[in-house]
Amino acid sequence: MVPAIALVLLGCVAAFSAPAAQKVFPYEYDQHDFPNGLRLITIPTDYPNVVSLYIVVQAGSRNEVEPGKSGFAHLFEHMMFRGTPTYPPAKYEATLQKAGAASNAYTTDDHTAYHTTFSKEDLETILGMEADRFQNLSYSEEDFKTETRAVLGEYNKNSANPASKLYEVLRDTAFDRHTYKHTTMGFLKDIEDMPNQYEYSRLFFDRYYRPEYTTTILAGDVNPATARALVEKYWGAWKRGSYRPEIPAEPAQQGPRKNHIQWPTETLPWIAIAHRGPAYSDQQKDQPALDLISFLGFSESSDLYQKLVIQEQKVDVFGADTPDRVDPYLFTVLARVKKPADLDSVRDDILTTLAEFKDKPVDPERLDKVKKHLRYSFALAMNNSEAIASIVARYVALRRTPETINRLYAVYDSITPEDIQAVAKKYFNENNRTIVTLTGGNAQ
Amino acid sequence: MRTALIPAVLLASASLWGASGPQLVTMPGKSPLVTFRFVFLTGSASDPAGKEGAAALTAAMMAEAGTRDMTYKQIVDALFPMAASVSRQVDKEMITFSGTTHVDNLQAYYKIFRDMLLSPGWRKEDFERLRDDAVNYLKVTLRGNNDEELGKEVLYTRIYAGHPYGHENTGTIASLQKMTIADLQAFYRANFTRSNLIIGLAGGYPDSFPKQVVSDFSKLPAGPPKAVRLPEPRPPKGVRVTIVEKDTRSVAYSIGFPISVKRGDPDYPALLVAQSYLGQHRMSGGLLFERMRQARGLNYGDYAYIEYFPRGMFQFEPDPNLARRQQIFQIWIRPVEPANAHFALRLALYQLDKFIKEGISEEDFERTRTFLTKYVNLLMKTKNAELGYAIDSRFYGIGDYATYVKTSLAKLTREDVNRAIRKHLRTTDLDIVAVAKDAAGLKKQLVSGEPSPVTYVSPKPKEILEEDKIVERWKIDVRPEAVTIIPVEQVF
Repeated sequence: MVPAIALVLLGCVAAFSAPAAQKVFPYEYDQHDFPNGLRLITIPTDYPNVVSLYIVVQAGSRNEVEPGKSGFAHLFEHMMFRGTPTYPPAKYEATLQKAGAASNAYTTDDHTAYHTTFSKEDLETILGMEADRFQNLSYSEEDFKTETRAVLGEYNKNSANPASKLYEVLRDTAFDRHTYKHTTMGFLKDIEDMPNQYEYSRLFFDRYYRPEYTTTILAGDVNPATARALVEKYWGAWKRGSYRPEIPAEPAQQGPRKNHIQWPTETLPWIAIAHRGPAYSDQQKDQPALDLISFLGFSESSDLYQKLVIQEQKVDVFGADTPDRVDPYLFTVLARVKKPADLDSVRDDILTTLAEFKDKPVDPERLDKVKKHLRYSFALAMNNSEAIASIVARYVALRRTPETINRLYAVYDSITPEDIQAVAKKYFNENNRTIVTLTGGNAQ
Repeated sequence: MRTALIPAVLLASASLWGASGPQLVTMPGKSPLVTFRFVFLTGSASDPAGKEGAAALTAAMMAEAGTRDMTYKQIVDALFPMAASVSRQVDKEMITFSGTTHVDNLQAYYKIFRDMLLSPGWRKEDFERLRDDAVNYLKVTLRGNNDEELGKEVLYTRIYAGHPYGHENTGTIASLQKMTIADLQAFYRANFTRSNLIIGLAGGYPDSFPKQVVSDFSKLPAGPPKAVRLPEPRPPKGVRVTIVEKDTRSVAYSIGFPISVKRGDPDYPALLVAQSYLGQHRMSGGLLFERMRQARGLNYGDYAYIEYFPRGMFQFEPDPNLARRQQIFQIWIRPVEPANAHFALRLALYQLDKFIKEGISEEDFERTRTFLTKYVNLLMKTKNAELGYAIDSRFYGIGDYATYVKTSLAKLTREDVNRAIRKHLRTTDLDIVAVAKDAAGLKKQLVSGEPSPVTYVSPKPKEILEEDKIVERWKIDVRPEAVTIIPVEQVF
């Protein structure tokens, strides 16, 4: 059987310039809602023997609404490995090992994902064990406190990197009220206080580890009917919750902001130039247009990258991104500059490039190349079942369906040079801007 | 062993390439994607004295610079709509170039890939940019931003001091600053030969494609395959400690010593079980993880290795094509709070010692063996990885890696593992590298041998507290003269 990916790619090539492109997510999938609110997405692929399971909980550091509780979604991800009466940690680990499974988890601003990749014959065992910990997690206050120290260890190992600090300060500066003000790791003072927050951790579990917040993704050598039956069997009795968080809305920014970090040791200077951007959308053009701008203006093939990195060689790390977020977030251009004396000129070059997007429409041929690049990148990334489940998980966290991928790429296809210009005019304004710089050692 | 490499002929027509290479590994299939993985059997172990980093910088000049006919900008522009690129990886004995393209773009991509490898442009501006990158990788990324990788790489330089493996693959700051384009051209001519080349191709390429590739790459100079002579590394007597001093919040450790076991050797399967049981990379089932993080919350994780595994903080599976004729056993202790640094080191060595003396239980042996027998399939989930493992198997003179692991584990017994760990593992005659702020303070603690009680944020079970009483006095025989403090500015 020719993998479905072949069909879409061949289709894409013909469709790049056509308005109605083939679906970029080529796999047939089964999407099923259980009465308790849990959603199951099963994606049979052509990769044999292996199944990848992603369990996506739509709660991340965005949900940390109470003061002093930053970092809790991430801490909770750690707590999920602390066992249940049926599967204490040692038994849980032994079961994973017998399945030859690779298992881990991660937390982001908007979601937390638990993932396991294993041999297909262990499907029922893994689904049953995962259902158990989502419904019956049980840990002592002692274990909770011990785990908070592992989280501090994680903060410590990240803290050696100036880029971590740069993002921490950028968010703290750019946001006033929204929980995107803090990173997923959280503020250090909150991490240090975590051992005292056992009760809050129980509350967090009770609020968010509920079927209506959860989507289960199975990709690989798996039959949708079998998957439905097993999920019904093990997850069917899970009780729906009622909590709805009130995430504080961020007021419009009223003027330019800046901040500076003095790094204690020698390092190369960094500059981050951020503009408040929109939320993820697979309908509106704003966020997809900013995605295209990040490639047009700041990717390896862009004029500015060529100037700063290849020709003048003032910069050695360079790029822009506009991450998909549930609520409005940031469009950020980031550069690591080789000499502190060049920081200002690099900043000016970036601002000039951003202004050019407002001043004139981009070359349509170049826009087409970026769209083509995005489609090929997407297709090349889906080269095994785990990668497919992992990509779908990111989108499921936003819209709970892989269909959003196809809608998003349809929006990309519809964007014109005029749309790019309009979006640039809307967002790249001084009042909407935050600039953070970092220099090390004695450099100012 | 290099001599174990048998030029394998996987195509019908063998006359294009003979014993002088290049060798070919093909995995044809129906996928519309075509994966290239070209491995040259050379690397930083072949860097001439005083030219450390020549292999890595030469590879960079091939994969991230212009060719004779195209500038780097023209290459980037051409590859961009294909969403394709050429990646490089440099290790002691292998240099790998890899990339994947859609079959639609096969000829256009291949032409660029081929010219990058066969006709580098050697432009001054590319050289200056890439040399800056290399210096900044050592100065900023390794010294500055990543205490864990820093500790691991310093460990290798200590264990292999005076040995062809003895410098970081990127080179040293002094050698890079003196490097010239002529040095790289000389390295290229001497080492990028057809007898050093293994060509890996996978995916839906036309039947005639491998023949075209082999024909093109047969234009490389013949050059006899020449393995660098590797002396036996000489581990220290007792415990040697290197403390890299830098302004950092916590203390990161790497511990290790050379082992005489690599893939294909009789004790490899036994040590594979031992390292998985002790500390399977980035998994929560290992003994060290359980005792140090899960039970005590000392840090973010603790793992064990019998093969080189760089970039472990960023990835779960090892990259293939880091094959080496000599390997070390290694324990990676992720950063710990300075107050617990001495205790954490004692605990890791105590657990290792206990493991060597008591061995693995039948139950743990069976569980670990089952895990590895299945897990090996997950290592080869992409065609790129599958090709990489097949090429490594050529290097080690073994068959398909998954089959090799499954077959040899099936025959393995618990006694084999316990005998192998007693033979190959130890808690002395080893190197410890710590990255710490208060280097003098840490040295004083380690040398004094004073008890190092640990404090916790929560009550602990009796069993843990009793074990702590042993661990806090666990003897690590560190003599003052065996401790070296190096300011971070002076490493590499």
